Amino acid sequence: MGAIAANPVLQRAIRVPPAYLVFAVLLITLWVTKPQLMNVNVMGIFIRQVAPLGILVLGQLLVMRVRSIDLSGAGVLLVVNYMISSGIMGDVPAIAYIAMALSVGLAVGLVNGYLVGRRRVSAVIATLAVTVILTGIIQFLASGKPPGDMPGYFNDIYNTKIWIVPTPVAFWLLLTVLMSLFLSRFVFGRFIAAIGENPTASHFSGVPVERTVIASHILASVIASVAALVQSASVAVGSIRLGLEMPIDAVAATILGGVIFGRGDGGVWGPFFGVMCFALLFVVMTSFGVPDPGKQIARGLIILLAAIFYGLSSSEK
Amino acid sequence: MATQSFKTYFGRNSRQGLWYVPLLITVVGAVILTVYTDDFASPQNLSNLLSQAMPLIIVAIGQMIVIVIGGMDLSVGAIISLTTALLALDAPAFVLVPAVFAITALIGLVNGYSIVKLNVHPIIATLSVQFIVVGFARILRPVAGGSVPDIVVSCVAGTVFGIPLTVFWAVIVLLLGWKLIHGSRYGLHLFAIGGGVSSGQEDAAHNFGISDQRNVILAYVCSALFAALAGFYIAGRISSGDPGVGETFALDSVTAVAIGGTQLSGGIGSLHGTLFGAILMVLLSNGMNLANLSAFLQGAIKGAILLLVVSLQSRKKMGL
Repeated sequence: MGAIAANPVLQRAIRVPPAYLVFAVLLITLWVTKPQLMNVNVMGIFIRQVAPLGILVLGQLLVMRVRSIDLSGAGVLLVVNYMISSGIMGDVPAIAYIAMALSVGLAVGLVNGYLVGRRRVSAVIATLAVTVILTGIIQFLASGKPPGDMPGYFNDIYNTKIWIVPTPVAFWLLLTVLMSLFLSRFVFGRFIAAIGENPTASHFSGVPVERTVIASHILASVIASVAALVQSASVAVGSIRLGLEMPIDAVAATILGGVIFGRGDGGVWGPFFGVMCFALLFVVMTSFGVPDPGKQIARGLIILLAAIFYGLSSSEK
Repeated sequence: MATQSFKTYFGRNSRQGLWYVPLLITVVGAVILTVYTDDFASPQNLSNLLSQAMPLIIVAIGQMIVIVIGGMDLSVGAIISLTTALLALDAPAFVLVPAVFAITALIGLVNGYSIVKLNVHPIIATLSVQFIVVGFARILRPVAGGSVPDIVVSCVAGTVFGIPLTVFWAVIVLLLGWKLIHGSRYGLHLFAIGGGVSSGQEDAAHNFGISDQRNVILAYVCSALFAALAGFYIAGRISSGDPGVGETFALDSVTAVAIGGTQLSGGIGSLHGTLFGAILMVLLSNGMNLANLSAFLQGAIKGAILLLVVSLQSRKKMGL
């Protein structure tokens, strides 16, 4: 194994995130088996479905690059969804909903950041527990029944298009570009890369490790609340089911995109294509009639294989 | 000598952790429940409580083995579900039971192998395995139902000499866990590996001649087998298969182990602590049920307890 991996060409190849390859394979599969699906309108609808996931991934990749993880997105999603659809806030303009969502994100992010950065709690346990707590409270408030409808204009905006691109997808693209610029042009991005590479060395080089970890958790949760707004717009009706799928898919897409616990080979666009893979994968599986449990198995296999891919390539260093 | 053994069990730096804290809380809670409710201390209720606690105790012992080495197994809940689904298949018991334990051992092997040899983070490895295993359980049995072989039911329910079988289960499982964790060279090696991991010197155990890779893989196999045992017990109790029955066990077992004074960073912990932690968890839900608290809020409270316990543990590493 060592001799093969020492090959410089392979060394270079192994640093390319698997997302690009998987995306190409899925696209070709779809092209060959279902050519009728390959047009802008149909694809737009498929990709629009994963826009919330794509936005969530932008936060996930931040925390995963500082060797942390955020599974509290599910809780944020549920709270924002409930607050909008239950009518608990009364008749308020859209800006109030947006302010509410952002403050929910901020609050959850602060809690996560404090627990992970200051108290050094295992990030998986901390953020998972936050999700469990938020879910329990929301289910209690809704007494187990789904709340009411979303305000209509949310769905109206969701259904618009900018030229041929659906608005949610355009919004997702815009945020991705912003995040890419943020990480490459700002000192914060350098801090994140340094901590990912080696937290101890970063600490002794004067990087504010704790503050950066807390800040990335806050940013991740605020981004999750934006994803929650887009998600709420897409569903039209509120839901209170515990959906760990979204944050887990976000982790999977991020790993697939080449960002894993400290390593940021994929930048921002690797995970972007990781999400696109998920869009295509679910289309392919649905068109082949794979049942729900099968999709779950595929989800697990993707995470495991992607993690093995990176585990092997980093053990050879 | 006397102070030596006192320090082993109670000292601030004891390898066994703060196991007496959950014991104290459990005793206080039991006293309160005895005073405020009529029949808490009746043999009937205590035996009910024990059978409620049994699956969690079994899973938590397995979970503790991997937590002591600084890992974590989030696939135990899925393994429980798969075990009940497999046992409810239409096949003779002498085929099913060995098959169940073989398959779950294999799952543990996959966990351990990907963590040790393929360098995958334990949480990521077991989380993804959890999805795969639950997927298979749901393919085998989309909704709860079916029936398990009679022998499985009679291994769990019923009494011998007027003593419920659950008591025998408890004794056997605890003896097995004690032998494995505190009574064998293997257990000592587990603590050595975990102590190295938690102090940031991951090679420490290896450098002292402990075959850490094999022991770690074995730990994940143990954890999977204990989960299968818990699944066997649950299958006997509900006498059917249910692909969702194990859902809460992954987090609950971690909570029980953490309450029991085992450090999640590894190297410190004890079987008795885990036992008291699991009993405390069950006592808590028993109390919350008696207080008529909504099931949703109970979930939230359990989450809050987990957060509280883990944030009280000190850890050097930040992040995962």
